[in-house]
Amino acid sequence: MFRLFSSAKSSGFQQQFSAVPLFSELSPRELKIVSTLIHERSALAGEIIFDEGEEGQAIYIVLSGQVLICRQGQALSPIATVGSGQIFGELALIDGGPRSAQARASTECLLGVMFRGDFERLMESHAVIAAKVSFQLARHYASIIRQLAATSPGSAN
Amino acid sequence: MTGHRHHSGPLVWIAVLAATCILLVLFQKVLWLVIPFLFALIAYYLVLPLKQRLVLSGVSHDTAAIAVSLGILSVLALTMLFSMPWLTAQLSALQSGGGRYLEGGLRFLGDTLSWVEASFSFAARANLAQETLAFVNDFNANFASRYMASAAMMAALWFPSLLLIPFLAFFMLRDGWRFKRFLSRAVPNAFFERTLFLLDQLDRTARGYFQGLIKLTVLDALCLAAGLWFIGVSSPLLLGILTAILAWIPYVGSIAGCLLVVLVAATDHPGNPSIAYAAIGLFIAVRMLDDFVFMPMTIGKSLKMHPLLTVLMIFAGGAVAGVAGLVLVLPLLGIVMVLGETLGAVLSDPRLRARHRYARQLLQAKVTQDLPA
Repeated sequence: MFRLFSSAKSSGFQQQFSAVPLFSELSPRELKIVSTLIHERSALAGEIIFDEGEEGQAIYIVLSGQVLICRQGQALSPIATVGSGQIFGELALIDGGPRSAQARASTECLLGVMFRGDFERLMESHAVIAAKVSFQLARHYASIIRQLAATSPGSAN
Repeated sequence: MTGHRHHSGPLVWIAVLAATCILLVLFQKVLWLVIPFLFALIAYYLVLPLKQRLVLSGVSHDTAAIAVSLGILSVLALTMLFSMPWLTAQLSALQSGGGRYLEGGLRFLGDTLSWVEASFSFAARANLAQETLAFVNDFNANFASRYMASAAMMAALWFPSLLLIPFLAFFMLRDGWRFKRFLSRAVPNAFFERTLFLLDQLDRTARGYFQGLIKLTVLDALCLAAGLWFIGVSSPLLLGILTAILAWIPYVGSIAGCLLVVLVAATDHPGNPSIAYAAIGLFIAVRMLDDFVFMPMTIGKSLKMHPLLTVLMIFAGGAVAGVAGLVLVLPLLGIVMVLGETLGAVLSDPRLRARHRYARQLLQAKVTQDLPA
C-alpha cells in the first residue's frame, strides 16, 4: 500500500547499511526505516570517538575506514580493530552504561551512529525490526564469547 | 570524569532562571508570534505520534506530514460540520443570555453579600454589599465605553497571527526532523553523543509537557462537565471545555473559569443559591483533583521540577510578563533548563573540551599539510 507514497528502491546510504551484519536480516523497507534513525558522522585519523568510562548513549557502525578499540591512553596496543561494516560501542544500546574502552579512528572514517533513545522508540513502534536487530546483536555477542573462550588459556579448543 | 551523569551546579541554575525571565520579557514584545508558536507547538506534539507511525511504516517524512495534516483538517472540518447546529445553538443561547447571566451573577453576589452583612457586623458597618455592588455596577455600565474599542482592536490585530497556527504546525511537522538533523550535524564529534542525549531529553520534556497539557484539559473538561450535568447546570460540556482551557493560565484562568460557572449556575436557578454554591464546591473539588492527581499523572511527570521552584517561577512569570508570563513560564523554564544543562554538561567538561581542541588540531594539520610553514 505504501508503495503508492514511496518507492522501495534503496539509497546509497541504505545499501551501505545492508552490508552491515547487524542489519542483514532486515528487508529493504525495514532498512529504509532504520536508516532514518542513523546519524552520519566523519572522524579524522587519530580523533577520539569516545573515551573509556564515558556514559554510552549510541552504537557506532563503521561505514568506511578503521577504528581502534583500546584501553584509555594505550592506543599503541589496541584490544581490537573495527573495519568497514563492523559495529562498536554496542553495549550502550543495551544498558547505557559506561564505555568499557576507548574508540579512536586509526584512519579517516565515515560512521553511522544510532542513538539509544531512537532504538528504544523503534522497539516500542516496530517490535519486529527491533527483534531482528537485537537477535543479530545477540549473535554478535555469541561470536565474541566464543572467540574469548577459544583464546583463553586452558580452553578445550 | 566523563563517566557519571551530569548534574548542573548553582551557576547553571541561576543562569537558567535569569535566561527564562529575560526570554519572558523579550517574548512579551513579540506575543503576536509567540502565542501562535506555542499553540502550533501544542498541535505539533499532539499529531507527531501519527506522523512518526507513518514514517516508521516506510512513508517519507514529507508525505507523512501532508497526509497527517490533511487527515486532521478533514476530521476538524467534519467535526465542525456535524457540531455546527449544536455549537450555534449553544453560542446563540450564551449570546442572547449574556445580559441575563450577568444579572443572575449580580443577584447571586448581592444575596451572598447581604447574608455576609447579616452574619458579620464588621461587614455591615463597612456597607460591604452596597460598596461592592456599586463598584461592579459602575464597571458594568462603563465596560463598553472603556474597553470595547480596545478589545475590538486587539481582536482585529490578533486574528491574522492566529492564522499562523496551522501553517507553523504544518512546517514543524514536515521539517522539524530536518531542523534536528541540521542542529546535530553542527555539533562537533567530541560533544555529539552527550548533546544528542540532552537534546533528546529536551524533546521528551516538551512532548511530555504538551501532550500532558492536552490530557489534563480533557480530564478536567470531562470531570467538570459530568459534575455540572449532575447538579443541573445548563451547557455542561461547553462550560467544562471553556473552563478547562481557561485553566491553562495558572491561578487567573481558574478564577475566571469559576466565575463563569457561578454566573451560569446562579442564572439557571435564580431562587436556589445552593446550586451556585454546589458549582463552586465542584470547581474547587476538580481543581484539587487536578493539582494532586491529574497534574502529577500528566504534566508533572514531564517537568521534573521542584514544586516550590514551579510556584515561585509562576509568580515571577506573572510579575515579569503578566498573563502571558503565567502561561509561558513553565514550558519555557523546562526548555531553558534542558538547554542550560546541555551547555553546562558540555562546556564544563575539560576532557570533552580537550578532545575538541585535539580534533581541531588534527583538522588544521590535515588542511595545511601541503602548505609551507
